Amino acid sequence: MAVATDASSAPMELLVSVGKNQSTKTLLRVLILCFIAAAAVASRLFSVIRFESIIHEFDPWFNFRATKYLVAHGFYDFWNWFDDRTWHPLGRVTGGTLYPGLMVTSGAIYHALRALTVPVDIRNICVLLAPAFSGLTAFAAYLLTNEMTTSSSAGLLAAAFMGITPGYISRSVAGSYDNEAIAIFLLVYTFYLWIKALKVGSVMWGALCALFYGYMVASWGGYAFITCLIPLHAFVLVCMGRFSNRLYVAYNTWYALGTLASMQIPFVGFAPVSTSEHMPALGIFGFLQLVAFLEYVRSAVPSRQFQTFLYVGLGGVFGVALLGLVGLTTGGYIAPWSGRFYSLWDTSYAKIHIPIIASVSEHQPTAWPAFFFDLNMLIWLFPAGVYMCFQKLEDEHVFVIVYALFGSYFAGVMVRLMLTLTPVVCVAAAIAASQLLDTYLVYKSPVAPEAKEEEVTDGTAKKSKQSALRSTSQPVVGIYTLISKGFIAGAMTLFLLIFVQHCTWVTSNAYSSPSVVLASRMPDGSQHIIDDYREAYQWLRQNTKEDAKIMSWWDYGYQIGGMADRPTLVDNNTWNNTHIATVGKAMSSREEVSYPIMRQHEVDYVLVVFGGLLGYSGDDINKFLWMVRIAEGIWPDEVKERDYFTPRGEYRVDSEASETMKNSLMYKMSYYNYCSLFPPGQAQDRVRGVRLPDQGPVLNTLEEAYTSENWIIRIYKVKDLDNVGRDHALAASFDRGNKKKKAGKKRGPRVLRAE
Amino acid sequence: MAPKKSATSSGTTSSSSSTTASASAALSNASSSAAKSASSGAQQIDQVALSLVQHYQKATPQRTKLIDAFMAFLVVVGALQFAYCVLAGNYPFNAFLSGFSATVGQFVLTASLRIQTTEANKSEFPSVSPERAFADYVVGSMILHFFCINFIN
Amino acid sequence: MKFTAIAGACLSLLSSVAADANITAPSSSKVALPSTFKPPQVFKNANLVHVVSLEKNFAKESINVLIENVSPEPQDEYFLPFTSEQMEKVGGIEVKDRKSADVVGFTVEAVEFDPLSDTQYYRIRLPAPLSPKSQQTLGISFHYLRALSPLPAAIEQADKQYLLYAFSAYCPSAYPTLKQKTEVKLPSADIPDYTTIAGSGDVKEFPVKQGSKLIYGPFPEVPAGAVSAIKVRFESTKPVTHVSHLERDIEVSHWGGNVAFEERYTLFNHGANLSAQFNRVKWAQSQYFNPQTYALKEMKIPLRVGSKDAYFTDVIGNVSTSRFRSNKREAVLELKPRYPVFGGWKYPFTIGWNADTKFFLKKSASNYLLNVPLLEGPKQAEGVEYGQVQVRVLLPEGADNVKFYTTAPESSITGHSVDLERTYLDTVGRTVLTIKARNLVDDFRDRELIVSYDYSTMAGLRKPLIIFSSMISIFVGIWAISKVDL
Repeated sequence: MAVATDASSAPMELLVSVGKNQSTKTLLRVLILCFIAAAAVASRLFSVIRFESIIHEFDPWFNFRATKYLVAHGFYDFWNWFDDRTWHPLGRVTGGTLYPGLMVTSGAIYHALRALTVPVDIRNICVLLAPAFSGLTAFAAYLLTNEMTTSSSAGLLAAAFMGITPGYISRSVAGSYDNEAIAIFLLVYTFYLWIKALKVGSVMWGALCALFYGYMVASWGGYAFITCLIPLHAFVLVCMGRFSNRLYVAYNTWYALGTLASMQIPFVGFAPVSTSEHMPALGIFGFLQLVAFLEYVRSAVPSRQFQTFLYVGLGGVFGVALLGLVGLTTGGYIAPWSGRFYSLWDTSYAKIHIPIIASVSEHQPTAWPAFFFDLNMLIWLFPAGVYMCFQKLEDEHVFVIVYALFGSYFAGVMVRLMLTLTPVVCVAAAIAASQLLDTYLVYKSPVAPEAKEEEVTDGTAKKSKQSALRSTSQPVVGIYTLISKGFIAGAMTLFLLIFVQHCTWVTSNAYSSPSVVLASRMPDGSQHIIDDYREAYQWLRQNTKEDAKIMSWWDYGYQIGGMADRPTLVDNNTWNNTHIATVGKAMSSREEVSYPIMRQHEVDYVLVVFGGLLGYSGDDINKFLWMVRIAEGIWPDEVKERDYFTPRGEYRVDSEASETMKNSLMYKMSYYNYCSLFPPGQAQDRVRGVRLPDQGPVLNTLEEAYTSENWIIRIYKVKDLDNVGRDHALAASFDRGNKKKKAGKKRGPRVLRAE
Repeated sequence: MAPKKSATSSGTTSSSSSTTASASAALSNASSSAAKSASSGAQQIDQVALSLVQHYQKATPQRTKLIDAFMAFLVVVGALQFAYCVLAGNYPFNAFLSGFSATVGQFVLTASLRIQTTEANKSEFPSVSPERAFADYVVGSMILHFFCINFIN
Repeated sequence: MKFTAIAGACLSLLSSVAADANITAPSSSKVALPSTFKPPQVFKNANLVHVVSLEKNFAKESINVLIENVSPEPQDEYFLPFTSEQMEKVGGIEVKDRKSADVVGFTVEAVEFDPLSDTQYYRIRLPAPLSPKSQQTLGISFHYLRALSPLPAAIEQADKQYLLYAFSAYCPSAYPTLKQKTEVKLPSADIPDYTTIAGSGDVKEFPVKQGSKLIYGPFPEVPAGAVSAIKVRFESTKPVTHVSHLERDIEVSHWGGNVAFEERYTLFNHGANLSAQFNRVKWAQSQYFNPQTYALKEMKIPLRVGSKDAYFTDVIGNVSTSRFRSNKREAVLELKPRYPVFGGWKYPFTIGWNADTKFFLKKSASNYLLNVPLLEGPKQAEGVEYGQVQVRVLLPEGADNVKFYTTAPESSITGHSVDLERTYLDTVGRTVLTIKARNLVDDFRDRELIVSYDYSTMAGLRKPLIIFSSMISIFVGIWAISKVDL
């Protein structure tokens, strides 16, 4: 990878100077783009090489499952898919509540390859889709940047940056089969088409832009970013007095067609005309009609008349529109801003009102080192690039500026939105970098004037004999000495190399772990793979009833659905907060409270993730407080966060833990039987680094069904109601007493029980 | 299609010379009338409308007027649809929405066509010839109506 | 008909195999007879030794019988009775002449007459009719699948497993038997229960126990169809591995010079179930002592030398707990399932590997001979049984005149077909030979499958030509379009 990207950036300038005629340049450009695409793909394959061709993390498992469903059942069944294996007993109208773009894309690729009789596994398509699209994204970045500058080296640099910048790689490594995988390509390409439509003023480009916008809407919820950014760009242009008929044509074509296209997606439905997020676009649409009309009027009537017309007409229309908007919003026709959007304006909003959003780590505000981590040197080239845009300030540069401002803000608010910032950073940084390189690398043209200058000044110097005067007498201001040029160029090359190095390092270390499979090192340095998740999921899949309901925290819902193929109560599509809170309550309450809840929901197995043995910190005990908080949101009387802390306000799991904590189902399930793995007094939780009491928790209503090799996954079976009608605590204590008494005797009654 | 198009394009070129002359005439006419009646706003609006109509009648080629007639028709249809929606309820919201957005979309597409083919805007659209504009218009309309039909159920 | 497994050494032998490939390819292994059929009483069993071997976790029975023609005419049809329940489970019936190994050509076929009758027959056709009063010694061997059932059916994780086997002390026969003896070989001397019957001669009570062996008999003359039910319960703390379905694909690529194997197993453990839920603490602790257990922990699959690129996956991806050792002397694939497979549990998985064609393929003119093992798969001390086996041989595109021959018992082969399958940019489709078999065990691991087919050079050049020409036409098309647009 390093070689390829290096080859793409460094020889570029050299080769361009070699390529004299146009066709050689084109060929070179195509070749370099191919190399960049190859580098982009290659750098995303770490996880496949290191582990295997596997779907990563959580959400991709759902997408993968949906894709398999699409491939197996066809498009129409997929469109109308009602999934009764999730959100038991509610089910989920999956076909109408997902963004189908990703699945349809891979389904189409699958069928195309099948038509060519290439037998490729749908899993491999899904795994490799994101890297493949990242190659396309690099190409789209090239096109977009080429619209900004005349220097084609900027486009190539942008493509190279886009291809390997960690901010984008984080969401598009092989196996990260998520909506973002194709959405970033669509985002960049839609912006390119928008700029193109704006520059040409053609209906066709606008229509293309709308089509890609429609595709984007079908792919990712982040389409709202485009929906807001393009109107904003149009608005800023109008405010700057840059209204043009091209803008009118481009925007209206985009809006009229794009809105209709977006409404084709069932999940989006009427949202473009009924939610506040889409109102700016509609408003600008109307505003542009007005402005266009005004422009027409202005060209038709004298200016004084026009002024009065402007005051009266505009004032009236604005008043009516604003009143209408307020009226419709209060009347409930237009949905107010959704919670996720509020959390974009006020970062503490979610923490207070919607714990379920706040509990997701990627919805946290970005820490500042993350910018440097994800973008490295681009982050300081980025303002320079934006400044360059200010210098030229064509319509398209305004777009970059607007995009840069908004992208930066959103990226600062939410870690996840770093992704939308990345393209503009790449574009702006490439503009800056290419400007630098173009200035300092061209040694032919500056050398000639420099040499002349030198001779001339040498001649004049003898006459004037003033070195200071000599320097001021130079008519051209600039840096001409080869040393300073070489220094700058060298430094730039060094930075580029460090950037490549950094990207490789970040990708390989931070973003290439599938998180389903964990890697560790053996004492001898060889890689050891910890595969507990799949071990337990496979056990569930093979050795439980086809319709056994699994209760787990929602993080694992998609994985259970995808890998274990069993119905779940809640999953990562967190559409029903109450249902999640119910599970949270079951997990955080005492057994006597939890058992009826589990019976009501026909739960057969309960799955918890426990990292205590291995020191795996992402386990359920560490997520437990979120369960408590979410449950507290619905049942503030029954679940109280305070009760889970010690009187001194500490969150502890050892013998000092609060009674509520010790009696909670989650605590019991995590530590059940755990201390018997250790010699007495040695039981230790390696995540929280505490010693556990010797007496482990007692479970009455559940029994341990399976525990994976490293104890990461523990599965419990919910006991049936007792045969004799005793409650479970009684029955369990009777059994234990029985065991103690009859331990030495023959095992007649126990065999009877097993029958 | 082809003969009609070539005929109209020649018509626009011939009318272009007369456009500038009439525009200047309208300008002087309007400025004098504005000076006379600066007292009341309503009268001013009347004046504006009047001069607008005058300008329009003088400066617009016949083919563009045809387009304008179509746009006016679309406005009427859209208004009717909206009125129906307000009065009789929006029960099949899909149907209303697709019908209404079909008219609105067609309107803006037609407006785009009108702008692109207008001779005065030629400089703004260096790469869009009238033929190209018309082809784009057809393509755009087809996409629009495809989506509408798909959305109407 | 024993072929040496070394493919390189037997070109002459292989050509003779190709010659009789036509004759021996079985079309159907069932013979239809009228529903009132009874085996004619033309033989008697002069002496019979019945060995029931339960050392592996399926029942392997062998009957060595001296038959005598008691009818006036020469006879060549000897019938072997089974109950209809046994008919479902029996497999791999083979007949040999015990006296001389060169007498070959016994054919064994199931007799179809009355599906409701409890007694069903297999017909053994002798290679040459047996003349009146003459005798011949037959060695008949077969095995029953799913014949051993755990008792108790559910036990603790660390308990010993006991299996139960039911059979008849008198060897089932359609003919009277003058003298017979039944030997039961067991995996251990821990035999808590076995049926005792009254003895004969100087032995008071059968069986006689000799270590891990039980001997019933010798018995005096027994009429045809006599039965004496015996049950044996013995300790066998090993997994009862049952593969209900095995799909084995062998893909031959002439261009790549590669033979790709892929096997998909649906594996069950038919041993005792867990009486309580699985306990990880106990399991982890017991692993330090590595005791005998009835859970399937590991499988070893010895492959042909030269195998490479082995993989082990299941439905959710690669199973990281596998090891593959390949060197000049051996190639062993060691598999550990994701979890220990206890009784009643299931573990489906897929393995695959590649090998060079030079180990398997021989060419003479445009005719090719492919010699591959019919069955590979785990080699376990406790044995593995296969319910349904489907072997598909994917030959190159354009191969025709396909014939096959296998050294596995032909009564196990239930059918075969030759179809076309389109894959990897095929235009016509590859020739696929599908062979279906049932009730096999791992004893047949080294049985061969020999496939002969014709494959011309033109057929080999077809694909590159088609790809080349289609690429060219695409480029020309693009060029033409770009010209038109301008």
